[in-house]
Amino acid sequence: MAIKGGLTRKNKASSDVPDSSMADIAFLLLIFFMVTTVFQRDRDRPIVWPVAEATEKIDEKLKNILNIWVERDGSLFINDRPYEMADIAGTIGPLYAASDRALVISIRGDREVTYNTIDQLQKQLVAAGVVRVVFATALEQRMTRERR
Amino acid sequence: MAVLNNKKSKVSDKVPSSSMADIAFLLLIFFLVTTTFPKDKGLAIVLPEQAEEVQVSQKNIIHIIIQANGIVDLKRGESPQVQQVRPNDIEGIWRQEVAENDNLIAAVKTHPDAPYKFMLDVLDALHIAGAERISLQVLEG
Repeated sequence: MAIKGGLTRKNKASSDVPDSSMADIAFLLLIFFMVTTVFQRDRDRPIVWPVAEATEKIDEKLKNILNIWVERDGSLFINDRPYEMADIAGTIGPLYAASDRALVISIRGDREVTYNTIDQLQKQLVAAGVVRVVFATALEQRMTRERR
Repeated sequence: MAVLNNKKSKVSDKVPSSSMADIAFLLLIFFLVTTTFPKDKGLAIVLPEQAEEVQVSQKNIIHIIIQANGIVDLKRGESPQVQQVRPNDIEGIWRQEVAENDNLIAAVKTHPDAPYKFMLDVLDALHIAGAERISLQVLEG
């Protein structure tokens, strides 16, 4: 009886493949890829979004959208770096050519920024040859619109 | 009897861990599917090509003038008559006007000191009304 029990135990130890560490291996791979993946995004600037009811999604790949941030005081930021208004055309032009004219410029302006700034920016973009421009807005619900 | 006892204790002495990976992957796939990255959104416009100057007959233009304090004035073509409107009214006016004249162009002239949001209110109304030909200008003088 004792000998038989001993044999049974030995068989049990070798009968199944150890699968308890499989999840650990999978999670190790998962965490590795999560950590090494970099999303090409610039950081959000502190602006108050303008709202519009006709807001629609931009039908373009994320890598073909370039954000130009316009803060309330009129300062401009592209890819987390400040730019002067006069340098915009010279900066955007090569990027636009490199993207095979597929680049969409998203103007992310604070709602209180003066229109003069936006107009100068548009003139810079025209000088750079950019055609497709989006005024980034937040979606406005009809309910809030009625009350205004 | 002894054998029976032995078997029972063997079954219950470890926590089943074979389904842990399944549970984890179920959660993982659930969150993968339900996560949506915020897509860029806004009002799309098409800028004119450089040095593209098109002469448009005055009767095809509807002037929308936005003052620095947000007051919106509407002026049709060559008529000197100025009508003060709310941005919400522009949608109806545009639909009415475009039904009479297919070639209508909306010329939005904004005062340089006007906050950007007033221009967007007008642009929003024009987008809702389905206007395609919009010219954005800065108010001179």
